Amino acid sequence: MRFDTKAFGRRTFIKGGLAATAALGLGSLLDLGSSPFKAKEAGAKGDAKVFHSACPRNCYDTCSILSTVEDGVLKRVEGNKANTYTRGRLCAKGFSYTRSVYSPDRIKYPMKQTKRGSGKWERISWDEAFDIIAKKILAIKKEYGNTLPICLDKYSGNFNLLNYCVEGMMSSIGHTTRATGTPCWPAGIDAQTFDFGTIWNNDPEDMVNSKYMIIWGANPSWCSVHSMHLVMEAKKRGCKIVVIDPIQTQTASKADWYIQIKPSTDGALALGIAKYLLDNNLVDYGWLAANAKGYEEFFQYVKEKITLEWVAEKTGVKKEIIEQLAKEYGTAKPASIWIGYGMQRHANGGQNVRSIDALAAMTGNIGKSGGGAQYAQLQTWGVKYNVMGMKAPAGTTTEKDRIININDSAQEILAANDPPIKMLWIACRSPLTQAAEPQKLRKAYEAMDLVVTADLFMNPTVEMSDIVLPVTTAFETWGLNVSYWHYWVALNEPAIEPQYEAKSDLEIAMGLSAKLNELEPGSCTFPTSGKLEDWVAAEFTPDFLKQFGLSRWDELKQGPRKAVTGLIGWQDGKFKTPSGKYEFASETAVSEGHELLPVWTEEMATPEKYPLRLMSPHWKLSINSQFQNLDWMMDINGEPAVEMNPATAEKYSIKHGDMVRLYNEQGEIKLQAKLTKGTAPDTLVVYEMWLKDKDFNVNNTLKSMPADMGKKATGAPGIAFHDNFVAMAKA
Amino acid sequence: MAKRYAFLVDTSLCIGCNACENACKNFYQQEASVHWRKVYYMQEKDLAQPLRAPVSLACNHCDDPACLKACPASAYRKDENGLVRHDNDRCIGCKLCTMACPYNVPCYDKELGKVTKCEMCADRMAQGEEPVCVASCPMGAIRVIDLNDPANAQYADNLAGLPPRDMTQPSTRFILPLEQKQDWRDK
Repeated sequence: MRFDTKAFGRRTFIKGGLAATAALGLGSLLDLGSSPFKAKEAGAKGDAKVFHSACPRNCYDTCSILSTVEDGVLKRVEGNKANTYTRGRLCAKGFSYTRSVYSPDRIKYPMKQTKRGSGKWERISWDEAFDIIAKKILAIKKEYGNTLPICLDKYSGNFNLLNYCVEGMMSSIGHTTRATGTPCWPAGIDAQTFDFGTIWNNDPEDMVNSKYMIIWGANPSWCSVHSMHLVMEAKKRGCKIVVIDPIQTQTASKADWYIQIKPSTDGALALGIAKYLLDNNLVDYGWLAANAKGYEEFFQYVKEKITLEWVAEKTGVKKEIIEQLAKEYGTAKPASIWIGYGMQRHANGGQNVRSIDALAAMTGNIGKSGGGAQYAQLQTWGVKYNVMGMKAPAGTTTEKDRIININDSAQEILAANDPPIKMLWIACRSPLTQAAEPQKLRKAYEAMDLVVTADLFMNPTVEMSDIVLPVTTAFETWGLNVSYWHYWVALNEPAIEPQYEAKSDLEIAMGLSAKLNELEPGSCTFPTSGKLEDWVAAEFTPDFLKQFGLSRWDELKQGPRKAVTGLIGWQDGKFKTPSGKYEFASETAVSEGHELLPVWTEEMATPEKYPLRLMSPHWKLSINSQFQNLDWMMDINGEPAVEMNPATAEKYSIKHGDMVRLYNEQGEIKLQAKLTKGTAPDTLVVYEMWLKDKDFNVNNTLKSMPADMGKKATGAPGIAFHDNFVAMAKA
Repeated sequence: MAKRYAFLVDTSLCIGCNACENACKNFYQQEASVHWRKVYYMQEKDLAQPLRAPVSLACNHCDDPACLKACPASAYRKDENGLVRHDNDRCIGCKLCTMACPYNVPCYDKELGKVTKCEMCADRMAQGEEPVCVASCPMGAIRVIDLNDPANAQYADNLAGLPPRDMTQPSTRFILPLEQKQDWRDK
C-alpha cells in the first residue's frame, strides 16, 4: 500500500461543532420523511432547514439530495433515501457541493475583460453587462438584417430542465446559429434508433434480476456508483458479471470475468458471438418471428462472412473465450448487456452498438425484466419545454436557425459566412477544455466581436470571453431534474440565496429580454419577469404527471417520485421503427448513409507516426470540466497522469512517475507516467478533467474526427474521442 | 458488555470512489488537507493478479495505539468501546502522535495548532447512528463490527502493503479482494 506522505494540515472545525452537528444528526434528518421543514420541529439546532435538491450534472445517477441549511448557510448535503435508486447516498462529487457553492474561486459578479485572454477583468453591473450584450445583438441585427451571426454553444453542464431557457432565449431574438449535436453518446443513440426506434433501457433497479450481465465499455464504478451497487447486488444474487473493455477499469476489477478487447473492435466480437449463437442453435426464433425484421439477411451475412478465427485476430480475444462467452450469454436467461458510451466514441462506434444490440434481440432478451441492451432512455424527459418554446420577434426575416456541428465547432465557426459568426454565447459548457481541436477553437474565439460566457468558475473558456456572467449553483435556484438512465424525477428547491450577484440562466434570459425590449421594443419575445417556481410549474403536462403518478406538480415538494409505467423497455413489443419491429435490416440506416445490417465496419487504422492510442475516459472525481478544480478534489488528485503498460514504459525508457510528452501534429500534453498492467501496450489512458491552475487539456491532440453515427437523432455525428493517436517521448 | 468496535473494510466491494472521504469532509466541513478517512490503492505487486484494488482507511483504533503512547499531554484515551479518542482541550499540538502513527492518521491543523482524527463518529454511534462513512458508502463496503463477537474472527486482520500488525495492533478488519478470471488481449 502506498501511503501519502503529504503532511496533514488545516481545518476549521472544532470540537464544539461536532457536538452541535451530531445533535442535529444525519440519521434523524433522514427520519423526517420528505418534508423539507421538519428539522426544526424535530428539535434541531437553530433555524436548521432541510431542502430538496437535485444534482443537475450530466450523469446517469441524477441524485436526489437533502440540503441542510442553517442561518442561510448550506452546511452539508446528503442523499435522499426516498429515492430507491440512490438510496440516500451520494458520490465524491455530490458530497463536495459545499466546496463549489462557497469556493473562493467562484465568479461573483458580471465582469468584462479588456482583451480576451489578457486576464484583465473589470467588475461591471448586471445592467452594464446586459447593455453591452443587447447593443451588440441589435447592432448585428441591423448590420446583417438577421441574428444568424449570433451562435449558441451550450451543452450538458447543467441538466436542470429550466436551463433549456438558454435555447429559448436565443429563439426569442430571432434565428441564430446553434452548435448542434452532442459530444457524448450520439452514435449509440442512432444505432438504437435504427434498431429499436429510440433508446429505452430497463429501469436500472431491475438489473438485480439479471442472471448474466455483460458490461461492455461502461465504468459505473466511477460514472454511476449507484448502479455499481446494483451490479454487485445482482452478483450477490448469482448473476455472473462479465466486463469487456480495452482498459481494466474499476468496474472490470469487480467482475467475475474480465475480457480485454482491442479498442474499436467491439462489433467484431459481437458478430463472433452471433456466429456461435447461430451455429449452436442458441437463437430465440420464436421471439424473432414475432418481433423482428431482417434477421434472415443478418444471419446469412454472419454465416457467410464471419469466422471465429477472424474475430479472434481482429479483437485480440481468443477463439475459445469467444465460444465460452457466447455459450454462457446464449444460455443464461434473462441476460443483459450494458452498452457504455465509451465504446461508441469511435469512427465505427454506432455500427458496433448495432452489432451488440443484435445479440440481445437474437437471444430474445428484449422487453424482459433482467434483460435488455441497456444504453439510455429519454422516456422520462417529456416535459413541455415551455422555457424554450419562444417565437421569433415580429419582423424576423429568416426562416430557421443555422446548424453547425458541435463536434466540429472550431472549423464551422471559422468557416461560416453569409453571414459570418460574430458573437458567441456559451452556457453550461466549457468548449476550450472539452471540445476537439482547442487550438483552432481559440482562433475562432479570437475572431469574434463578442464572446459571452455564463459560468461558475474561471475556466479556459471564460478566460477567452469578453463578458462573464456569474451563474447560480443548483442550491440557489429552482429546478426540475430527470435522468437518462433511472426513472426518478426530482424537484430542486432553492436552499440558499444566490451567492454574490449570481443569477440562474433563466433569470439571465429574462434580464436580457428586458434590456433588449428597453432598447428596442419588441426585439425579444422572452418574458421579462416571472417567478422561477411558476416556470417550474409550467413544465408539467398531464402525461408527465400521470407517468409519475402525480396529481399535482407540487407533490414533488414532498420528495422525488419514480415513474409508474414504462420501466421495462419494449415490453409491449411495439417498436418505434418504421416496421414497428426490431430492425436487423434498417432502411432508415440506409437512408442516413449507413449499412442496412449490423455488418462489420473497419476501425480506424493506427497511423505509423503516432503508434499509441490515447483514450480519454471519464474520471471519478469530475464530470467533464466540473468538480476536479475544487480544493477537496485537488487534494486527492492534483496532477494529471497517463496510465501505460510497463512494457510500453520500458520500450520508451520511462519509469513510474517520469514526466512524459504525448504529441501529434496538432498539439501535445505533458504529464506524469503511471505504470499499470491494466492497459494494453498500444493503449494509453488519460482521464479527462479540468484541474485548477494546471496547464492540461487532454484534447490538445484530439481532432474533430466524427463517429459514424449521431446525425439522425441528435443533428450531428458524434466524435471519435478514443481514436486519438499520439507519439510519446520522455519530457 | 463492553464493545470493541472496529471498521470492517470490504475490499471486494470497495470501488475507490472517494465518496466516504468526501462524505466525512462534508459532514464535519473540513479543510481540504484534513483526512479522517482516505482511499488508498493496493499495489499491483502485492496482488495475485492485476486489479484496481482500492482500500478505504480511517483511524484503525489500535489496541496498542502509537499516538496514545507518544502523546506527552494525555490527550488520547482508549474508550470503553475500543475507540481511540482524542481530547482537543488537552492537545498541545506537539505533533509527536503524527510522527508515531504508522498509518498517518492524526492530522495536524495549523490554524488550530492542534491535532484531530477520526473517532468513528462516536457521538453518532452513541445515538445509534452509523458513522458517516458507513452510512454514505454507495457500495456498503465499510461496516462497523464488534471484535468481541467471535463471529468476526473470520476477517483478515491486515493487508499487503500495510505496516506489520505488531506495531500497534490495529483493529481494522478486511475482506480481501476477490480473484477473477482474466483474459488479456493476446495481440
